[in-house]
Amino acid sequence: MSLEILDLVIIVALIIGWRITWLATRVDRANVRAERTWAALDAALVRRAQRALELVLMTGIDPATALLVSDAANAALEPNLSRHDREHAESYLSHVLDAVGSMLPGSSSRLEAECARASICRRLHNDAVATALSLRRRRTVRILKLAGRAIEPRPFEMADGDMCTLTAGPPDSPPSSLPYVRPIVSAAEPRAPAIGETGQPA
Amino acid sequence: MTAPRTSLRVGMVCPYSFDVPGGVQNHVLGLARYLRQAGHRPYVLAPGELGAATEGLDVEEFVSVGTAMPVRYNGSVARVNFGPLSAARVGRWLRKGRFDVLHIHEPITPSISLLALWAAEQPVVATFHAATPRSRSMQLAGGVLRGAIEKIDAGIAVSESARNVVVQHLGRDAVVIPNGIEFDDFARWRPSTGQEQLAGSPRSSDHPKLIFLGRLDEPRKGLDVLLAAVPLIMKTRPDLEVIVAGQGNRPLPEWCCSLGMINPEAKIALLNSADVFVAPHLARESFGIVLLEAMASGVPIVASELPSFLDVLGSPRDEGRLGEVFAAGDPDALAASVLRVLDRPNPVRTLRAREAARRYDWSAVGATVVAVYRAALSAAPAPWAEMSIG
Repeated sequence: MSLEILDLVIIVALIIGWRITWLATRVDRANVRAERTWAALDAALVRRAQRALELVLMTGIDPATALLVSDAANAALEPNLSRHDREHAESYLSHVLDAVGSMLPGSSSRLEAECARASICRRLHNDAVATALSLRRRRTVRILKLAGRAIEPRPFEMADGDMCTLTAGPPDSPPSSLPYVRPIVSAAEPRAPAIGETGQPA
Repeated sequence: MTAPRTSLRVGMVCPYSFDVPGGVQNHVLGLARYLRQAGHRPYVLAPGELGAATEGLDVEEFVSVGTAMPVRYNGSVARVNFGPLSAARVGRWLRKGRFDVLHIHEPITPSISLLALWAAEQPVVATFHAATPRSRSMQLAGGVLRGAIEKIDAGIAVSESARNVVVQHLGRDAVVIPNGIEFDDFARWRPSTGQEQLAGSPRSSDHPKLIFLGRLDEPRKGLDVLLAAVPLIMKTRPDLEVIVAGQGNRPLPEWCCSLGMINPEAKIALLNSADVFVAPHLARESFGIVLLEAMASGVPIVASELPSFLDVLGSPRDEGRLGEVFAAGDPDALAASVLRVLDRPNPVRTLRAREAARRYDWSAVGATVVAVYRAALSAAPAPWAEMSIG
Protein backbone atom coordinates (compact mmCIF):
# COMPACT_ATOMS: atom_id res chain seq x y z
CA MET A 1 0.00 0.00 0.00
CA SER A 2 2.54 2.56 1.10
CA LEU A 3 4.79 1.33 -1.69
CA GLU A 4 2.12 2.14 -4.21
CA ILE A 5 1.81 5.63 -2.81
CA LEU A 6 5.56 6.01 -2.94
CA ASP A 7 5.52 4.95 -6.59
CA LEU A 8 2.88 7.51 -7.30
CA VAL A 9 4.79 10.25 -5.53
CA ILE A 10 7.92 9.40 -7.48
CA ILE A 11 6.07 9.44 -10.78
CA VAL A 12 4.43 12.78 -10.00
CA ALA A 13 7.75 14.22 -8.91
CA LEU A 14 9.38 13.04 -12.13
CA ILE A 15 6.65 14.58 -14.22
CA ILE A 16 6.86 17.88 -12.38
CA GLY A 17 10.63 17.85 -12.64
CA TRP A 18 10.48 17.17 -16.34
CA ARG A 19 7.99 19.95 -16.87
CA ILE A 20 10.11 22.44 -14.97
CA THR A 21 13.25 21.48 -16.86
CA TRP A 22 11.37 21.81 -20.10
CA LEU A 23 10.04 25.21 -19.13
CA ALA A 24 13.51 26.33 -18.06
CA THR A 25 14.87 25.27 -21.46
CA ARG A 26 12.23 27.30 -23.19
CA VAL A 27 12.84 30.36 -21.03
CA ASP A 28 16.55 30.12 -21.66
CA ARG A 29 16.08 29.74 -25.38
CA ALA A 30 13.73 32.72 -25.46
CA ASN A 31 16.16 34.88 -23.49
CA VAL A 32 19.06 33.93 -25.73
CA ARG A 33 17.03 34.67 -28.82
CA ALA A 34 15.94 38.06 -27.50
CA GLU A 35 19.60 38.94 -26.88
CA ARG A 36 20.81 37.67 -30.23
CA THR A 37 18.08 39.36 -32.21
CA TRP A 38 18.91 42.59 -30.40
CA ALA A 39 22.55 42.26 -31.40
CA ALA A 40 21.45 41.64 -34.99
CA LEU A 41 19.10 44.62 -34.96
CA ASP A 42 21.74 46.83 -33.40
CA ALA A 43 24.22 45.86 -36.10
CA ALA A 44 21.65 46.35 -38.86
CA LEU A 45 20.78 49.83 -37.57
CA VAL A 46 24.44 50.80 -37.37
CA ARG A 47 24.97 49.61 -40.93
CA ARG A 48 21.97 51.59 -42.06
CA ALA A 49 23.30 54.79 -40.54
CA GLN A 50 26.75 54.12 -41.99
CA ARG A 51 25.32 53.58 -45.46
CA ALA A 52 23.44 56.85 -45.16
CA LEU A 53 26.67 58.61 -44.20
CA GLU A 54 28.64 57.00 -47.03
CA LEU A 55 26.06 58.11 -49.52
CA VAL A 56 26.33 61.69 -48.39
CA LEU A 57 30.10 61.66 -48.49
CA MET A 58 30.50 59.89 -51.78
CA THR A 59 28.06 61.56 -54.11
CA GLY A 60 27.64 65.18 -54.91
CA ILE A 61 24.29 65.91 -53.41
CA ASP A 62 23.40 69.39 -52.31
CA PRO A 63 24.94 70.53 -49.03
CA ALA A 64 21.62 71.12 -47.28
CA THR A 65 20.46 67.55 -47.84
CA ALA A 66 23.92 66.28 -46.95
CA LEU A 67 23.84 68.16 -43.67
CA LEU A 68 20.37 66.90 -42.82
CA VAL A 69 21.22 63.26 -43.52
CA SER A 70 24.63 63.28 -41.86
CA ASP A 71 23.20 64.98 -38.79
CA ALA A 72 20.48 62.35 -38.42
CA ALA A 73 22.88 59.48 -39.15
CA ASN A 74 25.46 60.75 -36.69
CA ALA A 75 22.81 61.17 -34.03
CA ALA A 76 21.81 57.55 -34.53
CA LEU A 77 25.44 56.42 -34.37
CA GLU A 78 26.09 58.29 -31.13
CA PRO A 79 27.54 55.81 -28.63
CA ASN A 80 25.94 55.18 -25.24
CA LEU A 81 22.51 56.41 -26.15
CA SER A 82 19.77 55.32 -23.78
CA ARG A 83 17.26 52.95 -25.28
CA HIS A 84 14.66 55.67 -25.44
CA ASP A 85 16.98 58.14 -27.13
CA ARG A 86 18.13 55.51 -29.58
CA GLU A 87 14.54 54.80 -30.58
CA HIS A 88 14.06 58.50 -31.22
CA ALA A 89 17.28 58.91 -33.14
CA GLU A 90 16.57 55.92 -35.38
CA SER A 91 12.99 57.06 -36.03
CA TYR A 92 14.31 60.49 -36.92
CA LEU A 93 16.79 58.97 -39.35
CA SER A 94 13.93 57.02 -40.94
CA HIS A 95 11.94 60.21 -41.40
CA VAL A 96 14.89 62.06 -42.86
CA LEU A 97 15.64 59.23 -45.28
CA ASP A 98 12.00 59.21 -46.34
CA ALA A 99 12.07 62.94 -46.89
CA VAL A 100 15.23 62.93 -48.97
CA GLY A 101 14.65 59.54 -50.55
CA SER A 102 13.61 60.83 -53.95
CA MET A 103 16.64 63.16 -54.09
CA LEU A 104 19.19 60.47 -53.42
CA PRO A 105 21.14 59.25 -56.41
CA GLY A 106 20.55 55.90 -58.06
CA SER A 107 23.17 54.16 -55.97
CA SER A 108 20.87 54.29 -52.93
CA SER A 109 19.68 50.73 -53.51
CA ARG A 110 22.21 49.50 -50.96
CA LEU A 111 20.82 51.88 -48.42
CA GLU A 112 17.33 50.64 -49.21
CA ALA A 113 18.55 47.10 -48.73
CA GLU A 114 19.93 47.98 -45.30
CA CYS A 115 16.67 49.68 -44.41
CA ALA A 116 14.69 46.60 -45.37
CA ARG A 117 17.11 44.44 -43.44
CA ALA A 118 16.78 46.60 -40.33
CA SER A 119 13.03 46.47 -40.61
CA ILE A 120 13.03 42.66 -40.77
CA CYS A 121 15.52 42.44 -37.89
CA ARG A 122 13.34 44.69 -35.77
CA ARG A 123 10.34 42.50 -36.44
CA LEU A 124 12.31 39.41 -35.44
CA HIS A 125 13.60 41.09 -32.29
CA ASN A 126 10.22 42.32 -31.08
CA ASP A 127 8.77 38.92 -31.81
CA ALA A 128 11.50 37.28 -29.71
CA VAL A 129 10.94 39.78 -26.92
CA ALA A 130 7.22 39.05 -26.91
CA THR A 131 7.89 35.33 -26.58
CA ALA A 132 10.40 35.87 -23.76
CA LEU A 133 8.10 38.19 -21.85
CA SER A 134 5.11 35.90 -22.12
CA LEU A 135 7.20 33.05 -20.72
CA ARG A 136 8.57 35.23 -17.93
CA ARG A 137 5.10 36.21 -16.88
CA ARG A 138 4.17 32.60 -16.09
CA ARG A 139 3.71 31.90 -12.45
CA THR A 140 6.03 28.89 -12.40
CA VAL A 141 8.75 30.90 -14.08
CA ARG A 142 8.40 33.79 -11.62
CA ILE A 143 8.22 31.70 -8.48
CA LEU A 144 11.14 29.44 -9.38
CA LYS A 145 13.05 32.36 -10.93
CA LEU A 146 13.67 30.29 -14.05
CA ALA A 147 14.67 33.41 -15.97
CA GLY A 148 17.74 33.66 -13.74
CA ARG A 149 19.55 36.96 -13.84
CA ALA A 150 18.82 37.67 -17.51
CA ILE A 151 17.68 41.25 -17.95
CA GLU A 152 14.06 41.60 -18.92
CA PRO A 153 14.09 42.31 -22.68
CA ARG A 154 12.15 45.20 -24.17
CA PRO A 155 10.74 45.66 -27.64
CA PHE A 156 12.48 48.26 -29.78
CA GLU A 157 9.96 50.76 -31.08
CA MET A 158 10.78 53.01 -33.96
CA ALA A 159 9.37 54.25 -37.24
CA ASP A 160 10.69 52.06 -40.02
CA GLY A 161 9.94 54.72 -42.58
CA ASP A 162 8.46 54.27 -46.03
CA MET A 163 11.79 53.55 -47.58
CA CYS A 164 12.44 50.85 -45.05
CA THR A 165 9.09 49.15 -44.86
CA LEU A 166 9.39 47.84 -48.37
CA THR A 167 10.28 44.26 -48.32
CA ALA A 168 12.37 44.25 -51.43
CA GLY A 169 15.68 45.59 -52.53
CA PRO A 170 17.40 43.46 -49.90
CA PRO A 171 21.07 42.50 -50.04
CA ASP A 172 20.65 39.77 -52.61
CA SER A 173 18.54 41.55 -55.14
CA PRO A 174 20.28 42.83 -58.21
CA PRO A 175 20.26 46.61 -58.46
CA SER A 176 17.58 46.72 -61.07
CA SER A 177 14.49 48.70 -61.76
CA LEU A 178 12.26 45.88 -60.63
CA PRO A 179 9.07 47.08 -59.11
CA TYR A 180 9.17 46.25 -55.46
CA VAL A 181 6.74 44.38 -53.32
CA ARG A 182 5.90 46.65 -50.47
CA PRO A 183 3.17 45.09 -48.40
CA ILE A 184 5.09 44.67 -45.14
CA VAL A 185 3.50 47.15 -42.77
CA SER A 186 2.87 50.78 -42.33
CA ALA A 187 4.28 52.35 -39.21
CA ALA A 188 0.76 53.20 -38.13
CA GLU A 189 -0.34 49.58 -38.08
CA PRO A 190 -1.32 48.15 -34.72
CA ARG A 191 1.72 46.43 -33.41
CA ALA A 192 1.80 42.67 -33.30
CA PRO A 193 1.41 40.59 -30.20
CA ALA A 194 0.28 42.70 -27.34
CA ILE A 195 2.08 40.20 -25.13
CA GLY A 196 5.24 42.26 -24.88
CA GLU A 197 3.49 45.46 -24.12
CA THR A 198 0.66 44.92 -21.74
CA GLY A 199 2.71 44.92 -18.61
CA GLN A 200 5.16 47.58 -19.68
CA PRO A 201 8.47 46.73 -18.02
CA ALA A 202 9.77 49.44 -15.77
CA MET B 1 40.59 34.60 -43.38
CA THR B 2 38.59 33.13 -46.19
CA ALA B 3 35.93 35.15 -47.90
CA PRO B 4 32.49 34.30 -46.56
CA ARG B 5 30.45 31.94 -48.65
CA THR B 6 27.45 33.91 -49.83
CA SER B 7 25.47 31.09 -51.40
CA LEU B 8 23.08 29.51 -48.92
CA ARG B 9 22.19 25.86 -48.50
CA VAL B 10 18.48 26.04 -47.90
CA GLY B 11 16.55 23.02 -46.70
CA MET B 12 12.90 23.37 -47.58
CA VAL B 13 10.20 21.22 -46.06
CA CYS B 14 6.87 20.94 -47.82
CA PRO B 15 4.21 19.02 -45.87
CA TYR B 16 2.09 18.20 -48.89
CA SER B 17 2.80 15.76 -51.66
CA PHE B 18 3.81 17.00 -55.09
CA ASP B 19 1.62 14.28 -56.60
CA VAL B 20 -1.26 16.69 -56.32
CA PRO B 21 -1.19 20.34 -57.27
CA GLY B 22 -1.62 22.92 -54.54
CA GLY B 23 -0.74 26.39 -53.47
CA VAL B 24 1.92 25.41 -50.95
CA GLN B 25 3.58 22.99 -53.37
CA ASN B 26 3.68 25.60 -56.11
CA HIS B 27 5.13 28.10 -53.71
CA VAL B 28 7.90 25.72 -52.68
CA LEU B 29 8.77 24.94 -56.29
CA GLY B 30 8.70 28.57 -57.34
CA LEU B 31 10.91 29.58 -54.45
CA ALA B 32 13.33 26.70 -55.13
CA ARG B 33 13.59 27.79 -58.74
CA TYR B 34 14.26 31.38 -57.71
CA LEU B 35 16.87 30.36 -55.15
CA ARG B 36 18.78 28.32 -57.68
CA GLN B 37 18.73 31.19 -60.18
CA ALA B 38 19.97 33.51 -57.47
CA GLY B 39 22.94 31.20 -56.85
CA HIS B 40 21.75 29.45 -53.71
CA ARG B 41 21.29 25.75 -53.22
CA PRO B 42 17.75 24.67 -52.35
CA TYR B 43 16.95 21.15 -51.18
CA VAL B 44 13.37 20.00 -50.90
CA LEU B 45 11.89 17.40 -48.58
CA ALA B 46 8.32 16.39 -49.28
CA PRO B 47 6.04 13.36 -49.23
CA GLY B 48 5.22 11.42 -52.36
CA GLU B 49 7.02 11.40 -55.66
CA LEU B 50 7.99 14.10 -58.07
CA GLY B 51 5.05 14.76 -60.35
CA ALA B 52 4.77 16.57 -63.62
CA ALA B 53 4.44 19.79 -61.65
CA THR B 54 7.99 19.52 -60.39
CA GLU B 55 9.69 19.95 -63.74
CA GLY B 56 12.80 22.00 -63.39
CA LEU B 57 13.64 20.70 -59.95
CA ASP B 58 16.75 18.54 -59.89
CA VAL B 59 16.07 15.09 -58.55
CA GLU B 60 19.15 15.26 -56.33
CA GLU B 61 17.64 18.28 -54.67
CA PHE B 62 14.47 16.43 -53.88
CA VAL B 63 14.04 13.83 -51.17
CA SER B 64 10.80 12.02 -50.56
CA VAL B 65 9.73 10.86 -47.12
CA GLY B 66 7.59 8.18 -48.65
CA THR B 67 3.95 7.77 -49.47
CA ALA B 68 1.64 10.24 -47.87
CA MET B 69 -1.56 9.44 -46.13
CA PRO B 70 -4.74 11.39 -46.80
CA VAL B 71 -6.13 13.09 -43.69
CA ARG B 72 -8.74 15.70 -43.11
CA TYR B 73 -7.20 18.84 -41.74
CA ASN B 74 -8.25 22.47 -41.80
CA GLY B 75 -11.32 21.85 -43.93
CA SER B 76 -9.73 19.95 -46.78
CA VAL B 77 -8.08 16.64 -47.39
CA ALA B 78 -4.33 16.84 -47.16
CA ARG B 79 -1.88 14.09 -47.89
CA VAL B 80 0.74 14.21 -45.21
CA ASN B 81 3.25 12.07 -43.31
CA PHE B 82 3.70 11.48 -39.66
CA GLY B 83 4.81 8.77 -37.27
CA PRO B 84 8.19 7.50 -36.08
CA LEU B 85 9.36 6.32 -39.49
CA SER B 86 8.79 9.73 -41.02
CA ALA B 87 10.44 11.35 -38.01
CA ALA B 88 13.55 9.21 -38.52
CA ARG B 89 13.70 10.08 -42.21
CA VAL B 90 13.32 13.77 -41.48
CA GLY B 91 16.12 13.56 -38.92
CA ARG B 92 18.42 11.82 -41.39
CA TRP B 93 17.71 14.38 -44.09
CA LEU B 94 18.49 17.20 -41.68
CA ARG B 95 21.78 15.64 -40.58
CA LYS B 96 22.95 14.85 -44.09
CA GLY B 97 21.88 18.18 -45.52
CA ARG B 98 23.95 20.45 -43.24
CA PHE B 99 21.71 23.35 -44.18
CA ASP B 100 22.51 26.94 -43.38
CA VAL B 101 18.87 27.66 -42.93
CA LEU B 102 15.80 25.47 -42.73
CA HIS B 103 12.68 26.85 -44.37
CA ILE B 104 9.58 25.04 -43.18
CA HIS B 105 6.23 25.54 -44.83
CA GLU B 106 3.04 25.25 -42.82
CA PRO B 107 5.01 24.40 -39.66
CA ILE B 108 2.05 23.72 -37.44
CA THR B 109 0.42 20.90 -39.36
CA PRO B 110 0.49 17.25 -38.31
CA SER B 111 3.18 16.51 -40.86
CA ILE B 112 6.89 16.35 -41.66
CA SER B 113 6.92 20.12 -41.24
CA LEU B 114 6.24 19.83 -37.54
CA LEU B 115 8.67 16.92 -37.29
CA ALA B 116 11.38 18.97 -38.99
CA LEU B 117 10.70 21.93 -36.72
CA TRP B 118 11.00 19.62 -33.76
CA ALA B 119 14.33 18.18 -34.87
CA ALA B 120 15.88 21.36 -36.28
CA GLU B 121 19.16 22.64 -34.92
CA GLN B 122 19.86 25.32 -37.50
CA PRO B 123 18.03 28.65 -37.83
CA VAL B 124 14.43 28.07 -38.80
CA VAL B 125 12.37 30.24 -41.09
CA ALA B 126 8.72 29.22 -41.26
CA THR B 127 6.08 30.27 -43.75
CA PHE B 128 2.46 30.28 -42.64
CA HIS B 129 0.16 29.79 -45.60
CA ALA B 130 -3.29 28.85 -44.41
CA ALA B 131 -3.32 25.96 -42.03
CA THR B 132 -2.66 27.76 -38.80
CA PRO B 133 -4.63 26.01 -36.13
CA ARG B 134 -7.20 27.86 -34.10
CA SER B 135 -6.56 28.46 -30.42
CA ARG B 136 -8.46 25.44 -29.25
CA SER B 137 -6.37 22.75 -30.87
CA MET B 138 -3.33 24.71 -29.74
CA GLN B 139 -4.42 24.51 -26.12
CA LEU B 140 -5.13 20.82 -26.42
CA ALA B 141 -1.73 20.10 -27.86
CA GLY B 142 -0.24 22.10 -25.00
CA GLY B 143 3.35 22.82 -24.19
CA VAL B 144 4.84 20.50 -26.79
CA LEU B 145 3.42 22.57 -29.62
CA ARG B 146 4.27 25.82 -27.83
CA GLY B 147 7.85 24.67 -27.58
CA ALA B 148 7.91 23.92 -31.29
CA ILE B 149 6.47 27.30 -32.17
CA GLU B 150 9.12 28.98 -30.05
CA LYS B 151 11.81 27.32 -32.15
CA ILE B 152 10.86 29.39 -35.18
CA ASP B 153 13.47 32.13 -35.65
CA ALA B 154 11.64 34.06 -38.31
CA GLY B 155 8.03 33.76 -39.35
CA ILE B 156 6.69 34.66 -42.76
CA ALA B 157 2.98 35.04 -43.49
CA VAL B 158 1.73 35.08 -47.05
CA SER B 159 -0.83 37.82 -46.43
CA GLU B 160 -1.93 40.28 -43.78
CA SER B 161 -4.83 38.00 -42.92
CA ALA B 162 -2.52 35.02 -42.51
CA ARG B 163 -0.31 37.18 -40.28
CA ASN B 164 -3.27 38.15 -38.12
CA VAL B 165 -3.99 34.49 -37.48
CA VAL B 166 -0.36 33.90 -36.51
CA VAL B 167 -0.41 36.85 -34.13
CA GLN B 168 -3.72 36.02 -32.52
CA HIS B 169 -3.50 32.27 -32.27
CA LEU B 170 0.19 31.56 -31.96
CA GLY B 171 1.31 34.73 -30.19
CA ARG B 172 4.13 35.11 -32.69
CA ASP B 173 4.76 37.70 -35.33
CA ALA B 174 5.53 37.28 -39.01
CA VAL B 175 6.90 39.30 -41.87
CA VAL B 176 4.35 39.51 -44.65
CA ILE B 177 5.77 38.28 -47.93
CA PRO B 178 3.21 37.36 -50.57
CA ASN B 179 3.37 34.27 -52.74
CA GLY B 180 5.28 34.66 -55.95
CA ILE B 181 4.21 34.08 -59.52
CA GLU B 182 6.16 33.57 -62.72
CA PHE B 183 4.88 36.80 -64.12
CA ASP B 184 6.48 36.48 -67.53
CA ASP B 185 4.99 33.04 -68.15
CA PHE B 186 1.52 34.47 -67.82
CA ALA B 187 2.10 37.83 -69.38
CA ARG B 188 4.21 36.91 -72.38
CA TRP B 189 1.19 36.08 -74.51
CA ARG B 190 -0.06 39.59 -74.57
CA PRO B 191 1.62 42.72 -75.82
CA SER B 192 3.06 44.48 -72.83
CA THR B 193 1.92 47.90 -73.94
CA GLY B 194 -1.66 46.73 -73.82
CA GLN B 195 -2.56 49.07 -76.67
CA GLU B 196 -4.23 46.27 -78.44
CA GLN B 197 -6.44 45.71 -75.46
CA LEU B 198 -7.24 49.36 -75.14
CA ALA B 199 -8.25 49.42 -78.78
CA GLY B 200 -10.78 46.71 -78.16
CA SER B 201 -10.68 43.26 -76.68
CA PRO B 202 -8.87 40.93 -79.05
CA ARG B 203 -9.94 37.84 -77.19
CA SER B 204 -13.59 36.88 -77.52
CA SER B 205 -14.37 36.74 -81.15
CA ASP B 206 -17.84 35.40 -80.59
CA HIS B 207 -18.85 33.92 -77.23
CA PRO B 208 -17.77 35.49 -74.00
CA LYS B 209 -15.73 32.95 -72.12
CA LEU B 210 -15.95 32.56 -68.34
CA ILE B 211 -13.42 30.41 -66.54
CA PHE B 212 -12.98 28.84 -63.14
CA LEU B 213 -9.81 27.16 -61.86
CA GLY B 214 -9.67 24.99 -58.77
CA ARG B 215 -10.80 21.74 -57.30
CA LEU B 216 -14.29 20.91 -58.50
CA ASP B 217 -15.31 18.78 -55.54
CA GLU B 218 -14.13 21.00 -52.71
CA PRO B 219 -17.01 23.13 -51.43
CA ARG B 220 -14.80 25.97 -50.24
CA LYS B 221 -13.61 26.63 -53.76
CA GLY B 222 -17.16 27.78 -54.38
CA LEU B 223 -17.94 26.15 -57.72
CA ASP B 224 -21.54 25.64 -56.51
CA VAL B 225 -22.02 29.36 -56.20
CA LEU B 226 -20.75 29.87 -59.72
CA LEU B 227 -22.97 27.12 -61.13
CA ALA B 228 -25.98 28.68 -59.43
CA ALA B 229 -25.12 32.06 -60.89
CA VAL B 230 -24.54 31.02 -64.49
CA PRO B 231 -28.26 30.59 -65.40
CA LEU B 232 -28.82 34.15 -64.15
CA ILE B 233 -26.01 35.42 -66.37
CA MET B 234 -27.31 33.42 -69.33
CA LYS B 235 -30.63 35.27 -69.19
CA THR B 236 -28.83 38.29 -70.61
CA ARG B 237 -25.88 36.50 -72.16
CA PRO B 238 -27.21 33.24 -73.62
CA ASP B 239 -24.01 32.76 -75.59
CA LEU B 240 -21.80 32.56 -72.47
CA GLU B 241 -19.20 29.82 -72.53
CA VAL B 242 -18.34 28.33 -69.13
CA ILE B 243 -15.08 26.44 -68.74
CA VAL B 244 -13.91 24.86 -65.52
CA ALA B 245 -10.54 23.22 -64.94
CA GLY B 246 -9.43 21.37 -61.88
CA GLN B 247 -9.17 18.07 -60.12
CA GLY B 248 -12.15 16.14 -58.86
CA ASN B 249 -15.26 14.45 -60.10
CA ARG B 250 -18.70 15.85 -59.80
CA PRO B 251 -21.81 16.06 -61.98
CA LEU B 252 -21.82 19.24 -64.02
CA PRO B 253 -24.59 20.89 -66.04
CA GLU B 254 -24.30 20.30 -69.77
CA TRP B 255 -23.48 23.96 -70.55
CA CYS B 256 -20.40 23.65 -68.40
CA CYS B 257 -17.26 22.44 -70.13
CA SER B 258 -14.81 20.68 -67.84
CA LEU B 259 -11.20 20.24 -68.87
CA GLY B 260 -10.23 18.20 -65.82
CA MET B 261 -6.75 18.69 -64.46
CA ILE B 262 -4.63 20.77 -66.80
CA ASN B 263 -0.90 21.35 -67.00
CA PRO B 264 0.64 24.78 -66.42
CA GLU B 265 0.99 25.51 -70.12
CA ALA B 266 -2.67 24.78 -70.73
CA LYS B 267 -3.59 26.90 -67.75
CA ILE B 268 -1.70 29.86 -69.14
CA ALA B 269 -3.33 29.43 -72.52
CA LEU B 270 -6.76 29.14 -70.95
CA LEU B 271 -6.30 32.25 -68.84
CA ASN B 272 -5.13 34.15 -71.86
CA SER B 273 -8.19 33.19 -73.88
CA ALA B 274 -10.77 34.07 -71.23
CA ASP B 275 -13.00 37.11 -70.97
CA VAL B 276 -13.74 36.86 -67.30
CA PHE B 277 -12.10 34.93 -64.49
CA VAL B 278 -14.27 34.02 -61.53
CA ALA B 279 -12.91 33.18 -58.07
CA PRO B 280 -16.02 32.29 -56.07
CA HIS B 281 -14.16 30.86 -53.06
CA LEU B 282 -16.15 30.68 -49.87
CA ALA B 283 -13.59 30.76 -47.11
CA ARG B 284 -10.10 30.22 -45.90
CA GLU B 285 -8.20 31.02 -48.99
CA SER B 286 -4.88 32.12 -47.57
CA PHE B 287 -3.64 33.78 -50.66
CA GLY B 288 -5.13 34.54 -54.04
CA ILE B 289 -2.40 33.10 -56.22
CA VAL B 290 -4.88 32.14 -58.95
CA LEU B 291 -6.09 35.69 -58.81
CA LEU B 292 -2.58 37.02 -59.42
CA GLU B 293 -1.99 34.61 -62.28
CA ALA B 294 -5.24 35.72 -63.86
CA MET B 295 -4.27 39.35 -63.32
CA ALA B 296 -0.88 38.75 -64.93
CA SER B 297 -2.66 37.18 -67.91
CA GLY B 298 -4.77 40.26 -68.34
CA VAL B 299 -8.18 38.69 -67.66
CA PRO B 300 -10.83 40.77 -65.91
CA ILE B 301 -11.42 39.44 -62.40
CA VAL B 302 -14.59 38.69 -60.48
CA ALA B 303 -13.81 37.48 -56.97
CA SER B 304 -15.61 36.88 -53.70
CA GLU B 305 -14.99 39.32 -50.92
CA LEU B 306 -12.46 37.35 -48.91
CA PRO B 307 -9.82 39.20 -46.88
CA SER B 308 -6.97 37.58 -48.77
CA PHE B 309 -8.49 38.48 -52.13
CA LEU B 310 -9.05 42.04 -50.99
CA ASP B 311 -5.38 42.19 -49.97
CA VAL B 312 -4.58 41.65 -53.63
CA LEU B 313 -7.42 43.57 -55.29
CA GLY B 314 -7.88 46.48 -52.92
CA SER B 315 -10.80 47.36 -50.69
CA PRO B 316 -14.33 47.03 -52.10
CA ARG B 317 -14.99 50.71 -51.35
CA ASP B 318 -11.83 51.68 -53.14
CA GLU B 319 -12.46 53.26 -56.53
CA GLY B 320 -9.17 51.90 -57.77
CA ARG B 321 -9.70 48.28 -56.88
CA LEU B 322 -8.41 45.91 -59.48
CA GLY B 323 -11.42 43.66 -60.04
CA GLU B 324 -15.09 43.20 -59.25
CA VAL B 325 -15.86 41.74 -55.84
CA PHE B 326 -19.09 40.26 -54.53
CA ALA B 327 -20.35 38.90 -51.22
CA ALA B 328 -18.97 35.37 -50.87
CA GLY B 329 -21.60 32.71 -51.48
CA ASP B 330 -24.12 35.02 -53.18
CA PRO B 331 -24.94 33.80 -56.73
CA ASP B 332 -27.03 36.92 -57.55
CA ALA B 333 -24.18 39.23 -56.67
CA LEU B 334 -21.78 37.05 -58.63
CA ALA B 335 -24.01 37.17 -61.71
CA ALA B 336 -24.35 40.95 -61.45
CA SER B 337 -20.57 41.34 -61.18
CA VAL B 338 -19.91 39.13 -64.19
CA LEU B 339 -22.45 41.06 -66.26
CA ARG B 340 -20.85 44.34 -65.25
CA VAL B 341 -17.50 43.07 -66.46
CA LEU B 342 -18.89 41.72 -69.75
CA ASP B 343 -21.08 44.72 -70.53
CA ARG B 344 -18.64 47.44 -69.62
CA PRO B 345 -15.13 46.21 -70.24
CA ASN B 346 -12.57 48.29 -68.37
CA PRO B 347 -9.26 47.73 -70.14
CA VAL B 348 -7.47 50.34 -68.05
CA ARG B 349 -8.31 48.49 -64.91
CA THR B 350 -7.20 45.21 -66.46
CA LEU B 351 -3.87 46.76 -67.33
CA ARG B 352 -3.46 48.19 -63.85
CA ALA B 353 -4.25 44.78 -62.39
CA ARG B 354 -1.56 43.34 -64.57
CA GLU B 355 1.03 45.83 -63.47
CA ALA B 356 0.04 45.14 -59.88
CA ALA B 357 0.61 41.44 -60.47
CA ARG B 358 4.11 42.17 -61.73
CA ARG B 359 5.13 43.16 -58.21
CA TYR B 360 4.53 39.57 -57.15
CA ASP B 361 7.05 38.16 -59.57
CA TRP B 362 9.52 35.78 -57.93
CA SER B 363 12.40 38.13 -58.67
CA ALA B 364 11.00 40.57 -56.10
CA VAL B 365 9.33 38.13 -53.71
CA GLY B 366 12.22 35.66 -53.60
CA ALA B 367 14.76 38.40 -52.85
CA THR B 368 12.71 39.41 -49.84
CA VAL B 369 12.60 35.83 -48.60
CA VAL B 370 16.40 35.68 -48.83
CA ALA B 371 16.58 38.92 -46.83
CA VAL B 372 14.62 37.17 -44.09
CA TYR B 373 17.06 34.21 -44.25
CA ARG B 374 19.95 36.61 -43.76
CA ALA B 375 18.21 38.39 -40.92
CA ALA B 376 17.50 35.09 -39.18
CA LEU B 377 21.12 34.04 -39.69
CA SER B 378 22.44 37.30 -38.32
CA ALA B 379 20.73 36.53 -35.02
CA ALA B 380 22.01 32.95 -34.95
CA PRO B 381 25.06 31.58 -33.10
CA ALA B 382 28.56 31.50 -34.55
CA PRO B 383 28.64 28.88 -37.29
CA TRP B 384 25.62 30.43 -38.95
CA ALA B 385 25.98 34.11 -38.21
CA GLU B 386 28.75 34.50 -40.75
CA MET B 387 26.33 33.45 -43.49
CA SER B 388 24.23 36.50 -42.83
CA ILE B 389 26.23 38.74 -45.12
CA GLY B 390 24.90 38.59 -48.63
